Amino acid sequence: MSGPHTQGAHPLGGRRVAVTGIGVKSPAGNGIEEAFTSVLKARSTAAVVGRLVDQDLPVHIACLVPPFDLDAYVTRREARQIDRTTALLLCAAADAVTEAALPPGLAPDRVGVQIGTGIGGLPSMEAVTLSHGERPREMPVHTVPRTMANSAACRLAMRYGFQGSCTTYSAACASGTTAVGEAARRIRYGQLDAAVAGGTDSAVSTVVMGAFARMRAMSARNADPELASRPFDADRDGFVMGEGAAVLVLERWDLAQARGARIYGEVAGYADTCDAFHIVAPQEEGEVAARCMRAAVADAGLTPADIGHVNAHGTSTVLNDRAEARAIDRCFGGQPPPVTAVKGVTGHLIGGSGALEAALALLCGARGVVPPIANLVSSPEADLVDLVIGTPRTVAPAAVLSNSFGFGGQNACLVLTPEQ
Amino acid sequence: MPTREELALVVRTAISDVLGTEVEEVREQTSLLVDYGIDSLELMEIGARLERALALRIAVEDLTGAQSVGHAIDLLEARTAGQP
Repeated sequence: MSGPHTQGAHPLGGRRVAVTGIGVKSPAGNGIEEAFTSVLKARSTAAVVGRLVDQDLPVHIACLVPPFDLDAYVTRREARQIDRTTALLLCAAADAVTEAALPPGLAPDRVGVQIGTGIGGLPSMEAVTLSHGERPREMPVHTVPRTMANSAACRLAMRYGFQGSCTTYSAACASGTTAVGEAARRIRYGQLDAAVAGGTDSAVSTVVMGAFARMRAMSARNADPELASRPFDADRDGFVMGEGAAVLVLERWDLAQARGARIYGEVAGYADTCDAFHIVAPQEEGEVAARCMRAAVADAGLTPADIGHVNAHGTSTVLNDRAEARAIDRCFGGQPPPVTAVKGVTGHLIGGSGALEAALALLCGARGVVPPIANLVSSPEADLVDLVIGTPRTVAPAAVLSNSFGFGGQNACLVLTPEQ
Repeated sequence: MPTREELALVVRTAISDVLGTEVEEVREQTSLLVDYGIDSLELMEIGARLERALALRIAVEDLTGAQSVGHAIDLLEARTAGQP
């Protein structure tokens, strides 16, 4: 059975979900095409951050969003009431919404906002604590609305009058993937017709950087920042903190097609699980993560053989990369497709990563190219997974599996399929 | 005690800081509600800035009750005149 009436139906029930707009504000670029070009070049964006040196933190490096004209997106009045985490999200969302050009006739309560953030307003609460902790009576009046965890999502909903479900997901480093997956589910199963979905974080602050450094989770390669983020490489010594936001506009496929929207592809499958093992370390055999990957592939109505490449979470920490390689090996039964990991270029955007990587994975899957992993020379996991080293790998356009794993044992996987 | 002119500059500066405008855009006849759709949190932030700048307790009613920026300056002038 086929034809115009069934094109919008997901093979496993419900509606197909189209991606019709993408906006990013990321270390790899402030537009998705710039970010795509940047990850293909596989050059790290990590650099020394002066204030981290001044504060004598053990880690001096991070991947920051390059400067852009904030005034073009946010009025000065609004800018005084929001923090950088929210500002980056609003800017990325503005680009995505403009590109999607949603039709004016949509019922406001059929459009939702689904946003992930791992750290949320903690950096701005940290700033208030440092500036006003001794003088609490003089605190800015907007402290609560600026720092609350759902500030970014609700500012976004306000800006456009989207009155459908507005949810903030906090699943640590998997938050952005969770938000995109949950948004797609809400469209697939009829709760929404469209959603603005993504993730954001901006946490290159004294306390957050100091806290991650105390766990020795971050690379301390202060003298060679461009070599610090090296997913799956034998010489990795931790992740590099990034910042940024990425937003995807998702729509019911049939509605997007009927209005002649540009369709990047489809959020076809999603699953999430929890290791329930350790509060920060992944379950080292990757069993639960592997089940999450398999569930996401099955949710798309596909089999592992249909996956053209994997966008790994690949943080450049030994514990993540080793467990993830084992999980990928388990999921694909010893025959994994090529694996890339863009955090070598972008650093780890925490809540922003999953959404940025979903967008990049969709472009790579559509264009049949898998970016090489930055700084990867040789890997102890090379016997388990087919890591792309050196130059981009050309593959047939196909579905992509995009992984995110977070502290707390959070696993979230998306399957993204280019338009066919 | 500040002159009315000095007081007016302090008030207009506090307002323009919160609303993200230039000081010149905030005139005596400006209505924060009609011209800017100001909300209660923004009004309270303006009040907090004025309290700091003038070392003065400001009643919320002085801000919410004012019809215009000029009216608010008049109310504040009356308050400061009452100071020892």
